[in-house]
Amino acid sequence: MKLLLVEDDTLLADSLLELLRGEGHRVDHLSDGNAALARLATVGHGLDLVLLDLNLPGAGGLEVLEALRRHDRQTPVLILTARGAVADRVRGLDLGADDYLGKPFALDELEARVRALLRRHARTTRLTLGPLELDATTLGFTLGGEPFPLPPREQRLLACLLRHAGEPVEKSRLAEEAFGGESMGDNAIEVYVHRLRKRLPTGQLSLRTVRGVGYLLEAGS
Amino acid sequence: MTLAHSLYGRLLAWLALPLLTLGALLLLQAWLEARATADRAYDRLLDASSLAIAEQVQWQDGRLWLDLPPAALEMLAGDAQERVFYSLVDQQGRHITGNAKLPAITDTHDTDDAPLFYRDITWQELRLRLGIRQSHLEGWRSKERFEVRVAHTREGRVALRLELLRGNLAGILGMGALAIATLLMAVRGALKPLTRLRKAIRTRDPRTLAPLELELPRELAELREALNDLLARMRRVRANQERFIGDASHQLRTPLAGISARAELALRQTQPEQWHTALEAIHAAGERSARLAMQLLSLTRLDNPEQRPELTPLDLNDCVRQAVRAHWVACHQAGVDLGADCSASPVLVAASDWQLQEALTNLIDNSRRYGARRITLGVLSHPPRLFIEDDGPGISAEQRLAVLRPFHSGRDDGEGSGLGLAIVDGIAHKHGARLSLSEGEAGRGLRVELDFPETAS
Repeated sequence: MKLLLVEDDTLLADSLLELLRGEGHRVDHLSDGNAALARLATVGHGLDLVLLDLNLPGAGGLEVLEALRRHDRQTPVLILTARGAVADRVRGLDLGADDYLGKPFALDELEARVRALLRRHARTTRLTLGPLELDATTLGFTLGGEPFPLPPREQRLLACLLRHAGEPVEKSRLAEEAFGGESMGDNAIEVYVHRLRKRLPTGQLSLRTVRGVGYLLEAGS
Repeated sequence: MTLAHSLYGRLLAWLALPLLTLGALLLLQAWLEARATADRAYDRLLDASSLAIAEQVQWQDGRLWLDLPPAALEMLAGDAQERVFYSLVDQQGRHITGNAKLPAITDTHDTDDAPLFYRDITWQELRLRLGIRQSHLEGWRSKERFEVRVAHTREGRVALRLELLRGNLAGILGMGALAIATLLMAVRGALKPLTRLRKAIRTRDPRTLAPLELELPRELAELREALNDLLARMRRVRANQERFIGDASHQLRTPLAGISARAELALRQTQPEQWHTALEAIHAAGERSARLAMQLLSLTRLDNPEQRPELTPLDLNDCVRQAVRAHWVACHQAGVDLGADCSASPVLVAASDWQLQEALTNLIDNSRRYGARRITLGVLSHPPRLFIEDDGPGISAEQRLAVLRPFHSGRDDGEGSGLGLAIVDGIAHKHGARLSLSEGEAGRGLRVELDFPETAS
């Protein structure tokens, strides 16, 4: 994947470059707002993800984001900023950023967000998590390459969890996805989650309960 | 600037109004007086002229006969070359002689008392002043009554009237100008201290909060005192801020000094294991100071009374679920069980979403930092209540008030910044909510509750 990192702090930028290149991405680095503006304002920048700092010399990060979004609504943008307040985050998201990380952040956290964004915006129609794979056009699952047939409700449930893999999904949201408009109550979802859990291979995928909120699907045990 | 918005204009208007009225009255009076004086002067001429004519009337050959003295008419013609008319009329009202048949005056009053009376008349399209003298001849046999009517045009009167008025007018205008000039000076003078006060405020160094020392009249002295009062309060706020900045700088310097020392030490060491331990320590200290810097920023923002969060109705259950979603992964990786205990029905309060998130983030962070393994966020209704409960060491009852103050962490092991609860308290304040600390359900751990005011719904 081709990434662009716009960050003026050398120490942080070097660490991030090392981390992301270590994951096998090709990463360009710009440390100046005007340069980023020039790079992103042109159509056909060929990027898969932009990591954007807000406090930049030259043009500000929000300005860069606005310029990008004027012609490109697709490429995901992850904002990195030291501005702590959530108010700035709301502005960034309003302007079309896809996610937000407040500095300081753990590198684990950054890796997870980058992965999630790349997955969500992948140009392929296949969603994968560990051995699990979903063909979004046929809505058919495969597990380790083998077909993994599921009853319709459990299939829809798992598809929803897979789309948001690594983040907690609320019960009400799951119920809506799995049951459509039917009012089954929040408790009904527990039954289906229970069934789904038994079907998933242990050790490779975990369907975790987020107490009082919902569920989360992640790879690993 | 309209009149209502200017003190100067207002004062001027109210002082000028009576002055102008008085001026108008004086002018009117001057005009009336000029007219009366001019009439009096010319009427006296009419009187003299008619008397001169009346004295020349004689009885000859059984009829009235007049030998007109030229002076009688000349005195009436005057400088203005007015036209003069006269006629002599007998008892029966017949025109005896004269250069014009002047009309009679019908509405005469008691003629005995006033031998002469005047009227302004319009005769053959001429505006005339007419004087009529009733007289009689004392003869042997009879008492012959007759009337002398004398009239002249009015140019002379008008000229005299204007001349008189002109003299008066100069005086009145002079007085008026003097009065207005005095008025302007007085108002300007009265408002001068205001200008001085403004200048004094303008020229001040914006950094100084020293009281204003300025001699001012009583009304403005009150304003000065009010300003000084405000300045005194600002001095107290600034002293507080300076102390806060001092504390903050100390708090930030400590971990930085630690990082620097640890790195220096590691550079002298040679074993990769030693480097690894040092890096871990530096990483932890770095994270701590970064978090501290962020907390300082939020606290400063909360402390700014100009910044009022926009309060919108929102469901506390949503807030709690959002916070759990945001922090669950990090807690899970650290082996902390984070969960929610929401109310079955929505609990609406007027609140700022991001501030509540900030409060919950700080509370979750606090619990984790002090060693809790299980953290539950929850919502109760009536009154709307947000709570967080953990199974950590808790805070002793006598410490519970102190920990709300900035830089008072419950423990002195350097783990906490001592700002988390101060931030939560600040956010509670902005929402009119009450923060209370107690122990958890089983008598251990910490329970923090935020009671919101009941919304009218």
